[in-house]
Amino acid sequence: MAGELALVADILSIISLFVGLFFLSVGMIGLLRLPDVYNRLHATTKVGTLGAFGVLLSIIFQEGITPMGIKAFTVGLFILLTSPISGHMIARAAYRMGVKLCDGSCLDEYAGKRKD
Amino acid sequence: MKRRLIIYMGLPVIWCLVSGQVTIGSIFLGLIFGMVVVQPFSKLYRLDEVVTPTGDWLAKIPKKLVYFYVLIKEIIKANIVVAKIVLSPKIDIKPGIIAVPIRTKTNIGITGIANTITLTPGTLTVDISDDQKVLYVHSIDSTDPQGIRDSIRDDLEKYVLEAFE
Repeated sequence: MAGELALVADILSIISLFVGLFFLSVGMIGLLRLPDVYNRLHATTKVGTLGAFGVLLSIIFQEGITPMGIKAFTVGLFILLTSPISGHMIARAAYRMGVKLCDGSCLDEYAGKRKD
Repeated sequence: MKRRLIIYMGLPVIWCLVSGQVTIGSIFLGLIFGMVVVQPFSKLYRLDEVVTPTGDWLAKIPKKLVYFYVLIKEIIKANIVVAKIVLSPKIDIKPGIIAVPIRTKTNIGITGIANTITLTPGTLTVDISDDQKVLYVHSIDSTDPQGIRDSIRDDLEKYVLEAFE
């Protein structure tokens, strides 16, 4: 029984590791292919979160409730909190430094809203 | 109860999670480190302010769980959307920045809605207006700004309002 449980945990762990690595690679391809800062942030903040989550979930399945598993869970929580904030800060700093939207952009309701 | 006491109680818990073991030693160590770490930030967080812990926070835990369920669902959706765009042979997007009016009033509510918008399909929070009523959101597909405003108001803001305000 214990052997079967370990097998199921192994399979789940491998599946989530592959899902995580797939999304991390998609994030990196997006970083290279998308046109400007703002679109690249879409790729890194969102895809990076789920990619890192997949890898951490794989560690949790493998380790269970051990010090290592609890650490992986905590790291996941912190990534969920900090990843959108860093994306937001980079986007705001880029806009204030005067980085223009890419050519295909069709709308900018933020223009002129900042006096500084 | 002073805010300082609440933080002193919370930081040892985080220390236990980070160190991965719950023993008396690690709780004590977390308490000492918490006290040292909090000291430089005492002005920033108004530590001596008296806050009254309300029963509201506990009563909203089911709502918070619903919010986390919605959040995880939206994160997975967002990843599939972005993966499709990135892996398509020709990237054909119409990005733009949209002004989205929000109804949340408290700081934690605004933080919640801004982070939720960033983690959901095709949108990224850029800035907030000075009167804290409008969020500027960069969208990867801004051909239908009104549709995006509606979807943020109906699908996301509802849960944030229920969970945090």
